[in-house]
Amino acid sequence: MIQIPDSSTLTGGPTAGSETRRQAILEAMVQVVGRKGYKATSVADVIAEADVSRTTFYKHFDDKHECFLAAYDLVVERVVGEVIANCDGEQAWLERVRIGLATIVEMFALDPELARTAIVEVSAAGADARARHWNAISRFTEFLDEGKGLSGAQELPENIGLMAAGAVSGLIFDELLTGRAERLPQLLPDLLVALLVPYIGPSAATEEMRRAAAG
Amino acid sequence: MEGAGVGGRWRPPRGRHRLPPEVIARSQRERLLEAAVRVVASKGYGAATIGDLTKEAGVSRTTFYELFDDKEACFLAAYDSAVETLVRRVIGAYEDEREWPERAAAGLAALLETLAGEPALARLSLVDIGNAGPAAQRRYRAAIQRLTPLFEEGRDYAPGGRSLPANTSRMAIGGVTGLIADELLAGRAEGLPGLLSDVLFATLVPYIGPDAAAREVERLTR
Repeated sequence: MIQIPDSSTLTGGPTAGSETRRQAILEAMVQVVGRKGYKATSVADVIAEADVSRTTFYKHFDDKHECFLAAYDLVVERVVGEVIANCDGEQAWLERVRIGLATIVEMFALDPELARTAIVEVSAAGADARARHWNAISRFTEFLDEGKGLSGAQELPENIGLMAAGAVSGLIFDELLTGRAERLPQLLPDLLVALLVPYIGPSAATEEMRRAAAG
Repeated sequence: MEGAGVGGRWRPPRGRHRLPPEVIARSQRERLLEAAVRVVASKGYGAATIGDLTKEAGVSRTTFYELFDDKEACFLAAYDSAVETLVRRVIGAYEDEREWPERAAAGLAALLETLAGEPALARLSLVDIGNAGPAAQRRYRAAIQRLTPLFEEGRDYAPGGRSLPANTSRMAIGGVTGLIADELLAGRAEGLPGLLSDVLFATLVPYIGPDAAAREVERLTR
């Protein structure tokens, strides 16, 4: 379980109980927003889900929005952590990309509320939430940029990672809007092509997709 | 100068005048449409009120109800009108060219220029779509549907294009909208036309690969 240092306590240091409650609130925010949408989520919903008091909530967060942003950061850390853990040790960039994408898809399929919060609802939560979403994507694109050397093209656009990430998140967004996070693993071949194609072209990407599907 | 309005937009002179009612009504309607976009872009569709719109447009509530049934009717009229203009411009520019890469470049240039001219609507559609309300979201998706064939033509153009994944156009569109959203998020609507090389690359690359796409971009955007 990820431990989040609780810098907001006034007593001079984090206590185990306080950390646990803050964590519970953030988890609850992810789940409720994933079910009801950001706009329809209230602090009352979150504290009911987290089983904490209103006082406790406001000890940690100023309002729903601030709590959502912290919850979103938690989601990003969790996803990044899983991807790094699973890709660790793989040598080939192609393998790391495939495993990383499969990791994300798996996490989303197993936790549809987390998927909706991370991909769909974040855009309903205001410009600063959206900015965090793009920052999170940039972390992945930095990792993707290692693939730039694979194509023979002289000058790949600087934004190529953003294109690839945009293509992938667009496909995931569409699937989630129809409410079927559980089906994301079936989409994995297309997601892989979308991610790889700007780097290695459509035939190589489709070939890679077939290899991944067979293996 | 008598008749000059806020930001240079023409407004009828205050008080009694002899302008025909239709001219006044058109001007009021346009001001309400523009106001609807600004207000929804800043507050979100849910929080926007008719009072907000009438105040922003400088018209009375009575006038509002002469022109529109409700908030949704007003906002959607603005949204529909902007979408129609955009789709027509993009398709028009696209059809003026012959080969697909040239067509894509022309269509994308028209897209970027039109969006740069409507930054509030662009943001609403591409950054804050969650705040625009379900009716606008449906219209956004319908607009994407209308523009999808322009990307799909890559399937005919590219060697082996027929055997590409079915949603290749969605990948291209995702790449393009992602780049535009990034620029809008940074508050740089006026910078959109400068994205042409990148959005063209994102459009071509799923069909013809990075080497060919980079060459075409170089050729077409020099």
